[in-house]
Amino acid sequence: MHGRVKVKTTAQQEEEKRKEREKKLKIYVAARDACFSKRTDGVLDEEALQLTQQLLSSNPDFATLWNYRREILMHQETIKDEDEVQNIYEAELLFLESCLKVNPKSYGSWHHRSWVSARLPRPDWSRELSLCDRCLSLDDRNFHCWDYRRMVVRMSGVPVDKELEFTDRLIGSNFSNYSSWHYRSTLLPLLHPESPEPPSPCRQPQSSPPPSPQTQSHRVCEEQLLKEYELVQNAFFTDPNDQSAWFYYRWLLGRAEREEMISCVYVSREEERVAVAFSRPVNAQSVGLFLVLDGQPQRVEWRSVHPRFKQSPVWICDLPPGTINDISNEHNLTVHWTEKHTHRDCALYTGRTESWCRDTATDQELFRSELSVEKTSVLQSELQSVNQLQELEPLNKWCLLTIILLMRALDPLGYEKETLAHFQTLKEVDSMRSAYYNDLCSKFMIENTILKMEYAEVRVFSISDRNLTTLCHLDQLLLVTHINLSSNQLQRLPPQFAMLQCLEVLEADNNCIENLEGVYHLLRLEEVSLRNNKISTPADLKPLASCRKLKRLDLRGNPVTQSPDVESELSELLPSVTDLLL
Amino acid sequence: MAQEESQFEEFEQIDFLRDRHVRFFQRTLQVLPERYASLETTRLTVMFFALSGLDVLDALDVVDRDVMIEWIYSLQVLPTEDKSNLSRCGFRGSSHIGIPYSTKGPGVLHPYDSGHVAMTYTGLCSLLILGDDLSRVNKQACLAGLRALQLEDGSFYAVPEGSENDIRFIYCAASICYMLDDWSGMDIQKAIEYIRGSLSYDNGFGQGAGRESHGGWTYCAIASLCLMGRLEEALSQRELDRIRRWCVMRQQSGFHGRPNKPEDTCYSFWVGATLELLDVFRYTNFEKNRSFILSTQDRLVGGFAKWPDSHPDPLHAYLGLCGLSLIGEPDLRKVHPALNITERAFQHLQQLQQTPIAVSTIDLTKRPTSGTWFEVRLENNFSVEQYKPSSKLRQEEKRRAVGGREKLPSVD
Repeated sequence: MHGRVKVKTTAQQEEEKRKEREKKLKIYVAARDACFSKRTDGVLDEEALQLTQQLLSSNPDFATLWNYRREILMHQETIKDEDEVQNIYEAELLFLESCLKVNPKSYGSWHHRSWVSARLPRPDWSRELSLCDRCLSLDDRNFHCWDYRRMVVRMSGVPVDKELEFTDRLIGSNFSNYSSWHYRSTLLPLLHPESPEPPSPCRQPQSSPPPSPQTQSHRVCEEQLLKEYELVQNAFFTDPNDQSAWFYYRWLLGRAEREEMISCVYVSREEERVAVAFSRPVNAQSVGLFLVLDGQPQRVEWRSVHPRFKQSPVWICDLPPGTINDISNEHNLTVHWTEKHTHRDCALYTGRTESWCRDTATDQELFRSELSVEKTSVLQSELQSVNQLQELEPLNKWCLLTIILLMRALDPLGYEKETLAHFQTLKEVDSMRSAYYNDLCSKFMIENTILKMEYAEVRVFSISDRNLTTLCHLDQLLLVTHINLSSNQLQRLPPQFAMLQCLEVLEADNNCIENLEGVYHLLRLEEVSLRNNKISTPADLKPLASCRKLKRLDLRGNPVTQSPDVESELSELLPSVTDLLL
Repeated sequence: MAQEESQFEEFEQIDFLRDRHVRFFQRTLQVLPERYASLETTRLTVMFFALSGLDVLDALDVVDRDVMIEWIYSLQVLPTEDKSNLSRCGFRGSSHIGIPYSTKGPGVLHPYDSGHVAMTYTGLCSLLILGDDLSRVNKQACLAGLRALQLEDGSFYAVPEGSENDIRFIYCAASICYMLDDWSGMDIQKAIEYIRGSLSYDNGFGQGAGRESHGGWTYCAIASLCLMGRLEEALSQRELDRIRRWCVMRQQSGFHGRPNKPEDTCYSFWVGATLELLDVFRYTNFEKNRSFILSTQDRLVGGFAKWPDSHPDPLHAYLGLCGLSLIGEPDLRKVHPALNITERAFQHLQQLQQTPIAVSTIDLTKRPTSGTWFEVRLENNFSVEQYKPSSKLRQEEKRRAVGGREKLPSVD
């Protein structure tokens, strides 16, 4: 009986909680309504500041209140003298500091601080910088703080080299400081810009997409670049597993886009057809593309190679019948890309059934243009350094990726074997991304095959038994007549495959192909071999119906051969095929 | 073979507690705990997470649709009689300003009442999810309100009185225009310029120029460009490949949003959906992704948290589900990676907009499309008979989606 403490029941506790909530709600509603009625009455005084302060302390994301507060402060500016305003804003900064202590990631608080700093009659930028330092020492990845710091630097005119020193200090004390490396990437081009005359021609400013940090205007001069290489190498030698330095290094080694142009024009006399390949996907209807034949502009309709593509690197048009089919005549064709102020000519000579004009992959350095520092000696020395590291850290994926990048820049054909070996290792140490590496390796093998094809000046593209998992650069194969993709791991011939407008023979045995979307409207295609693939129904072969010259089709070893009535279905679907092998 | 089977079973055992998640979202729609008080001004977004989460779980039957729809419409900032407030229209986050409840116009003028771009976006999504036909949305007012938010540099404020401005709100704006099927709400070209300017040296996107790259902002950039139908116009093949590379490198087991940061459930969607839009989600490891997401599942109250052993919240619960949906978790609806609503809700939107497969020349201003997630448009020289999208391709997409489960992990 004595000393028995009364234990509150759950119901009672609930009731107390409810009462407390109601009380809080009343206070909140009262404060809120007081605020707004003041606002409605046009009252912008200190009491209003007090009220909003109360509310914002518990909820700094109530954006409307910050706006009201800004109104009050601006009003105070009109009725107080400079010293008083200075005091008011300094008090504001103090208030904001307490808000930020509670929530250092509140958009509202940082935004308001930016606003206040910009309006303070006598700003103390060094105090702001030290606030940033403190904040970053607690969390060096707080991007709100980094963004605020950038604003302070801009407003106060802190020289870029001072900020660069700041990043030196941060990086020096901790290489694993991604945000610092990022900041450095924005400062460096400002301090040491590349010369105003970049090596490749400038695009017309109004018609090209605006520059981003990768493009020419943000490049760094070579002298500084070499110093940066040294800095970064120190970083990744110290901690090879931290990705910050590797990403930065990759950026230093990287390069801007290649020149935009018409890369190839192809003319066929028999079909009276013109095919145009661009250096990037375009929409021919909207880029001001037009055709001039023997000095006369032609009204033509451009179509992309496959209905799936609004944007395509390759476009086709038909010339009016009778314009070029007389083999005893010579014709001169020009294709104009007016948006880019460029064009390409193509002459169709007497006695020739076809003609083309192109920039070759070798001349354009299409695939080697990844790196900016042209000097082979510099790249070779970089490769040596990274190779040294690789001996010490054989399982480091960043190292392997960087070595592959450098080798492709220096000599893609010469380093082919080493590249393949490194990809093998890469797939083992970073197996989670092996699908990505397989595709990347496929891309490099295709690039090498294109280079070899160009050096030999043939129109045969042969890349068998190379573990290809994907196809790319198909826009480079516009002129190819024979293609051999046998014994790989391809699952489909994608719509882009329709860019092979000159194709006559397709060999793709021993893959896992189940989709033939891209074998579409290939008007020269006569022979297709798809032995031992995964084609399962006659419907899969539908696209081939548009290849009207197709005579020979080998489908042995495909599940489709087991379909009932497959022969009759296919002969109905593909009437031109006389030689069907099942 | 036996070994493969037992690995498969082990995989299944990290079980997915569907019913807990349904109840988690139900509670979210009823009452929020006190610590969520600071989200009051953005309450509509919390509702969106719960509704869309239930949709992904195929559990919308637990919701009283009509009540929800009315509540959402009560948040619409409507034009006043004299239409003087058009530039402030849209949807607000909740009733916190104290505007009297009303689902009909004309609007009431209040010095601080205005739409918020993220609320307009989630409001419209929520209405679609609930099956509403958007007929009570004052489309012209919303678009006027949206136009008022865009700055010279192409980015958007959240509210007309001003706020921070960045790429998040471009995404909201693009989604709004897409859903209302009217791009007069924004200057697309300027938005594209801002997006391009946000591409960072390491090939992710920051919130704006000069800012650090981040999985969330990268999603906003790519999804916006896809909704606008300008992905391949705005970014070169090389840039797209580099962006793919940056995104692929975000997977640790789950995904993180920035290099050297811990993984967080929500990035399984932000980065995962970006990879899906860029056609390379197949480069990710589905099993590790799934394991991580499920490690943040709260087995008691349901939902997902950002990290293991942390409190779940509606945002991570919803995005965790979306992340699982991307990898083909059974019994979850597929999510449209650009618009971030289920495919079912997206089809409802398409029906509202009545999009046929056109035979005539495409009007580029009207219906931007791109990639395999939008309908196939036909060029003017090819009639419908000559080409139909291969059903095999759909199957391939489906198989790709569940591919991570059928493909057993290679030696680690």
